[in-house]
Amino acid sequence: MIDILQINPGLWIILAGIICAFMPVGHVRKTLVLLAPLFAGVMIFQIYGAQEVIGGVINYAGIEFTTLRIDRLSMIWGYLFCLAGVLNAIYALHEKCRITDSSALIYTGAAIAGVFAGDLLTLFIFWELTALSSVFLVWKGGERSYAAGLRYLAVHVFSGVLLLAGAIVYGRANGGDFTFGHIGLDSPGGLMLLLAMGIKCGFPLFHNWIQDAYPKASITGTVILSVFTTKLALYAIARGFAGEDILIYIGAVMAVFPVFFAVIENDLRRVLAYSLNNQLGFMVCAIGIGTPLAMNGVAGQVITHVIFKGLLFMTMGAVMFRTGTAKASELGGLFRSMPFTTVFCLIGAGSIAAFPLLAAFVTKSMILSAALEEHLYIPLAMLLFASAGVMEHSGIKVPYFTFFSHDSGRRVKEAPWNMLTAMGLASLLCIVFAFPFGGYQLLYSLLPYEVNYHPYTPDHVIFQLQLLFAAITAFCVLKKYGLYPSEKRAEVIDFDWTYRKLGLGIARWIGAMWTRLSVNMTGVRKTCVDGMGKKLYQIFSPAGAMSAAAPSGLAAVLTAGMLVIALLIMFIT
Amino acid sequence: MAKAPENLTEAELEERTNAHPMAVPFLFLGRESTIKNFIWFPFAGMVICMALGLIYPPHHKAPWDFFGSWAVIGFAAYSFLVLSAGPLFKLLARDEDYYGEGGLPDPDYSTEGDHHD
Repeated sequence: MIDILQINPGLWIILAGIICAFMPVGHVRKTLVLLAPLFAGVMIFQIYGAQEVIGGVINYAGIEFTTLRIDRLSMIWGYLFCLAGVLNAIYALHEKCRITDSSALIYTGAAIAGVFAGDLLTLFIFWELTALSSVFLVWKGGERSYAAGLRYLAVHVFSGVLLLAGAIVYGRANGGDFTFGHIGLDSPGGLMLLLAMGIKCGFPLFHNWIQDAYPKASITGTVILSVFTTKLALYAIARGFAGEDILIYIGAVMAVFPVFFAVIENDLRRVLAYSLNNQLGFMVCAIGIGTPLAMNGVAGQVITHVIFKGLLFMTMGAVMFRTGTAKASELGGLFRSMPFTTVFCLIGAGSIAAFPLLAAFVTKSMILSAALEEHLYIPLAMLLFASAGVMEHSGIKVPYFTFFSHDSGRRVKEAPWNMLTAMGLASLLCIVFAFPFGGYQLLYSLLPYEVNYHPYTPDHVIFQLQLLFAAITAFCVLKKYGLYPSEKRAEVIDFDWTYRKLGLGIARWIGAMWTRLSVNMTGVRKTCVDGMGKKLYQIFSPAGAMSAAAPSGLAAVLTAGMLVIALLIMFIT
Repeated sequence: MAKAPENLTEAELEERTNAHPMAVPFLFLGRESTIKNFIWFPFAGMVICMALGLIYPPHHKAPWDFFGSWAVIGFAAYSFLVLSAGPLFKLLARDEDYYGEGGLPDPDYSTEGDHHD
């Protein structure tokens, strides 16, 4: 008899995804898409009490796979992914697509199963499954997204292979123990694992798959993609590498550099993809700090981030659904047609910018306070700069150029009811998790360590508002004097230029040179091969020189000599 | 605030007719005067917060904490970022079809035609 409490809750969602793939009735599929994450959430609640739960242990080929491990840290990600799964399902209710429904469920399930993996090999399986299932969401973006999907798949499969190699090296060094706990960077396996996780998390120079694939995915696909992959990687880093100093600086760089790209990017979904990178930087930095306050900041920020970032992607998706574009240069004045979407976008923008009473105000300040308490002034200064950057690209640019700015003249319908419902629920959560009376305390109850942090102190509110009001004032001044750059259609090149242009160019050059060489060398090659064949025939054929000039016994002697040499080599080696 | 219907110009009346009913009370946000004067709102907020910063100094001070320091950081960082956009754009911007993949979806480039007016 199988005990269902020993089954990883993510597997139920994967099962629902497989059923969806063969289910022709749209309503049944949509019911499954909506109920499966809810069911998984109920299962997590049933399995996890207050103590760590280990289950689903399978022995195969002498290796122990722990397919279920729920503790305080994985529980947060598990519930969060279930919540995101439900919101995404509501958002995508209008879309009648079997591939989207099926891959969304398998992807969600794989991410949940991944965070509940108790060993590195089980993690690897679900790590790769997230990549394989989610690429269909990218490809649903249309013809143009095909190449981006292939690049996305290549990057993630490479990350998975690296994870597996790292796990094997790490496991062998630990006497065959593949348990996924704190790993650290003092072994080659640890370094490989961090690199694998860093690729999936969008570390600097490995980040381009996010800005390449996400804006090219389908409208609902982008919303779904924005939740799981990078957060699964973030969870893995939080579990395996908390307190590693190098992450402080990787995170700080990660928070700063995307803001420069976001400010010149015209496509607002790509702006949000850079913004996602920047927010992950805050969390990676906090993982590097590793104190209880910082780790609470990470867990809190990941919860709010999934909600407000999903909300912002949802609003841009709704705009794209109605107008067909998410380019700042083509939009403007949409508050006249889409007032609800405007309000939801403003809530998302205020949340990511950490306005008081909105989501990130509580959690981001935990991260900044943790850096301040540890006297990490350089990373703190970088994070403050990045905060002003967040205000620019997500706080101002996205809502301003979409809903205000110059009137584009587009008069479209408000978003469909299901999109509005999903955006409304996400907006509500953005407010609830920062509400001073019982709201942020609810968030605190989910965090991994006991929290003794009060966000609504007068000094904190005042200094945060100073920063935000000053940034908005700067925007108004720069706009007034014509110093704010207008949005122009362009492809902004990033580090992916090295493989999309330079690498491709080198590969094409080598190919062309090889072809040219082959053509030019045909005569020479033919002469050489024919000549060599002729010579060999003249020497070794029955009518050749060897047979003619030497006694017939010589061939037997030569063969015996060769055999002796071969046996000697085998004996020595 | 929203004008009475009889005081509206023809253009304003058309704007009101085409707008979503819930957006009508907020159409003033698109007026030139609102946009021009909006600056006073964040500026006043910044000045008030700077003044309040004297009454409630930060508990944990960073080396750069002085009167209005966070406002200075916010203004300077934001301005630096935006002013760097011009040179960065010249350096990094290429044609939308630079990679030969047709840029990102929009009405001109898109082949999907999946927007729903």
